[in-house]
Amino acid sequence: MLNTVAVNLRAIFRDRVFHGIVVVALLFLLIPSVSSLSMRQVTELSITLALSLLSLILLLLSISLGATSLWKDIERRYTYSVLSLPLSRSAYLVGKFVAVALFLLLATLVLGAVACCMIWLASGIYPADRPIVWMNLVLCIAADLLKYVMLVAYAFLFSTVSTSFFLPIFGTISVFLAGNASQQAYDYVHSPLATTLSPVVKQAASVLYYLLPNFSAFNLRINAIYGIPLSMKAVVLPLMYFCIYTTLLVILATVIFTRREMK
Amino acid sequence: MHAIEFDKLSKVFQGKKKVTVNALNSLSLQVDQGEVFGFLGPNGAGKSTSIKILLGLIGSTAGTARIMGVDVTEKTARSQVGFLPENPSFYDFLTGEEYLRFVGKSFNMSAADISVRGSEVLNRLDLWEARKRPIRGYSKGMVQRLGLAQTLIHDPAVYVLDEPMSGLDPIGRALVKDIIRELKERGKTVFFSTHITADVEAVCDRVGVINKGVLLAVDTVSGVLERGVEGYTVRLFKPDGASEECVVAKADLQDFIEKSIAQRCSIERVEPKRKDMEAFFLEMVSPKQTS
Ligand SMILES: Nc1ncnc2c1ncn2[C@@H]1O[C@H](COP(=O)(O)OP(=O)(O)O)[C@@H](O)[C@H]1O
Ligand SMILES: [Mg+2]
Repeated sequence: MLNTVAVNLRAIFRDRVFHGIVVVALLFLLIPSVSSLSMRQVTELSITLALSLLSLILLLLSISLGATSLWKDIERRYTYSVLSLPLSRSAYLVGKFVAVALFLLLATLVLGAVACCMIWLASGIYPADRPIVWMNLVLCIAADLLKYVMLVAYAFLFSTVSTSFFLPIFGTISVFLAGNASQQAYDYVHSPLATTLSPVVKQAASVLYYLLPNFSAFNLRINAIYGIPLSMKAVVLPLMYFCIYTTLLVILATVIFTRREMK
Repeated sequence: MHAIEFDKLSKVFQGKKKVTVNALNSLSLQVDQGEVFGFLGPNGAGKSTSIKILLGLIGSTAGTARIMGVDVTEKTARSQVGFLPENPSFYDFLTGEEYLRFVGKSFNMSAADISVRGSEVLNRLDLWEARKRPIRGYSKGMVQRLGLAQTLIHDPAVYVLDEPMSGLDPIGRALVKDIIRELKERGKTVFFSTHITADVEAVCDRVGVINKGVLLAVDTVSGVLERGVEGYTVRLFKPDGASEECVVAKADLQDFIEKSIAQRCSIERVEPKRKDMEAFFLEMVSPKQTS
């Protein structure tokens, strides 16, 4: 499986998407000067901008890599030459997934370091009222990464049932949007405001809530921006949620892919 | 133990709009170890379908297949096989050399073995110069030759080649035939599909003819060629120096030669006149046309 991970990482590094990301990442360099334009809350703004840009890049990466990785292999008929090697379907699929996840981790480490440098520079220009809690910043970025790895698992699941890139790409985008809104929707449905809704709708909303990923659990941005202390629970729960949810998704994808015909 | 074994293998494709295609119909066939077997059939006969089942790429609707005694649904069945897909395509962001390394590692070869065997097969398939170039820039013939190289690198016992000569120029075709003969000499099993009868005649021990998913005949190549002998063309010189060419029926050859010698003719050449593999193939596949 290591062999599969290595070859897929190489595929990503030699892909055009990778070079596009490097160009987009140059935007980080603009953060200190843009933030200083605000005159007030320069540090807070720089943190917001840096985290948003990082999140956007990770989103683009997880959709473009996650949704096309398997599809490309099938489309270009690499599957015939690779799956006929003494390699199990699960090792192939999991290897591919690990490669994309590792690449996201690598991108996060590099871009996260750049982001922190830029925030540090910005805070140097106009020192903040509150000191920056770097630990919160790191945890916030890490939680973001977990969220996107989970999204990649969804993209893989969609890829295993689809013959085109249409479902993987748009399915993943839908999951992303739904995952971000699910907590709000749930809260709304169960609030006094929603008394007019029929019980059936409420039931359906609850089922969806437990089925869809809940990405708001991974949003630690407020804590990072304003240096609000993080409870142990706010860190450990998302981590456990991530492990269980992602494992289930990958297992499901593997089961489907093992049965799939390479016609 | 047979090298390759198909046992009542059937495959039904479930197409769109509920059309079903019976691509394979109860195919039973054994290929012995050390044998070169030609799987001969027209386009759409079911050759690639059988081969894909053999490599675990698709499942069978009914029946089983085994490689070296291992059921093909197990991944270990593939550990003793070198497989060349039809119109192959390989990770094109890798160079030829890197791809061979990837394949070697998949077969658990050591780094040292990979580098030694890798150079050997790259040279053998005339890819040495191109080894450091990305496969993206290879011509169709080069990709086909790389495909053959990646079947050879781990020196397996069984070779499954789906139309190995397609996309190659005459030099490449000759090279592939040479390699198949070499493998035979080294006691390897080669199972290859083709629709070209001359290729079967050139390298195979046995041939199986398949059409519309049905295996029509299995025979030794020498048997087909011998039984195909219909008579002989005898060229002889008469005592007065004139030369003559006579067509003699199979049964009359002995008599004819004795008579000729008695008449003091000298025999220059005796050639068997036979239906070749092509005639055999056409007769099998479309019996009505070749009365
Ligand atoms: N994925 C598929 N879906 C439906 N029919 C298929 C599929 N693959 C092959 N077939 C049909 O199965 C038959 C055998 O095809 P194949 O094994 O590729 O033939 P060949 O002998 O040329 O390699 C053909 O009639 C072909 O149309
Ligand atoms: Mg074919």
